Amino acid sequence: MPSYTIDELIQLKPSVALSVDFDAAEFKAIIEKVKQVQALKEEEYAAHHGHFGRRRSSHLVNGRPKIRMHKPKVTTDEDGWSTFEPKAGEEGEDTSENTSDSGAATISTAAVKVKPNNRHISSSRPADASDIVADKQVHGFNAFAALVSDDEDE
Amino acid sequence: MSVEEVSQKLENVTVSDDAPKTVLTDPKSFEVKHPLNTKWTLWYTKPAVDKSESWSDLLRPVTTFETVEEFWAIVQNIPEPHELPLKSDYHVFRNDIRPEWEDQANSKGGKWSFQLKGRGSDIDELWLRTLLAVIGETIDEDDSQINGVVLSIRKGGNKFALWTKSEDKEPLTKIGAKFKQVLKLTEDGLLEFYPHSTANDRHAQPSITL
Repeated sequence: MPSYTIDELIQLKPSVALSVDFDAAEFKAIIEKVKQVQALKEEEYAAHHGHFGRRRSSHLVNGRPKIRMHKPKVTTDEDGWSTFEPKAGEEGEDTSENTSDSGAATISTAAVKVKPNNRHISSSRPADASDIVADKQVHGFNAFAALVSDDEDE
Repeated sequence: MSVEEVSQKLENVTVSDDAPKTVLTDPKSFEVKHPLNTKWTLWYTKPAVDKSESWSDLLRPVTTFETVEEFWAIVQNIPEPHELPLKSDYHVFRNDIRPEWEDQANSKGGKWSFQLKGRGSDIDELWLRTLLAVIGETIDEDDSQINGVVLSIRKGGNKFALWTKSEDKEPLTKIGAKFKQVLKLTEDGLLEFYPHSTANDRHAQPSITL
């Protein structure tokens, strides 16, 4: 049985490329074509699912996204009173109202934010503690008292 | 016939000027060829680019070789493993054995398998060493257990598989140990043998581990 070690076979490697009895060029062309198709498919996939087409991950890697809150400007006068400074636009509107309707009470333009207590919104419990008082049956129905009419007393 | 025997024969003949030309003396018109123990067939599995393509369409024999010179000619003319697209396979199988576990020669055997993690550049060298050890018949000196060898180009890691005709533990352990040397594996490198009878089981465990 002829056998050759790895080194012996390497020694027999010719320095010049030999010709083969099959169409090597065609074989290489098939492989190149497959590579091109795969590259195109990958590109297409990346366009739809890649970095730029991807939605923001719910898994926040770099912490929470920054949300800019516009803080109102507060000025403190000599007496120590702090007041919110209204925006330039709002101030102008106020002055026009004042000129047209002089003497009328000024109405605050600041929006009042009401945060509903919807902690128990899905339950049967009242949303607000004050509702409990309002709904409370103050006067209980007394069946015996109802039997005795006012006319009989007289 | 070994290289030494062939070379010695050549030395005896070189007395005359009409000495037969070897691939080393005349690569274009050499006359002496070094025969291999058997004929080998190179197969290629083309990655599917169309859903209509079936396995039988994708697996095709490329060429056959019976001598060392023919082997080198093929190696020089085909793309190296690192040039292959993903999901490609090179198969080199003895005679007309098909690189399928359903083939009669393979059905009672299995494969020594090793996965090379990452797309390292040494894949070309390791594949060549594996081929040389297989066709040179040095990986299996005792008996002809080897049916073929497969290289699978995959994203997760390239796979080397040495296909055997039986599941006999004793000769396979010897072959596995040599295969480890060929792949230059250290103690950490894990080589696993899977019988083809478990080919359909995704969670199959190797019957031998080295």
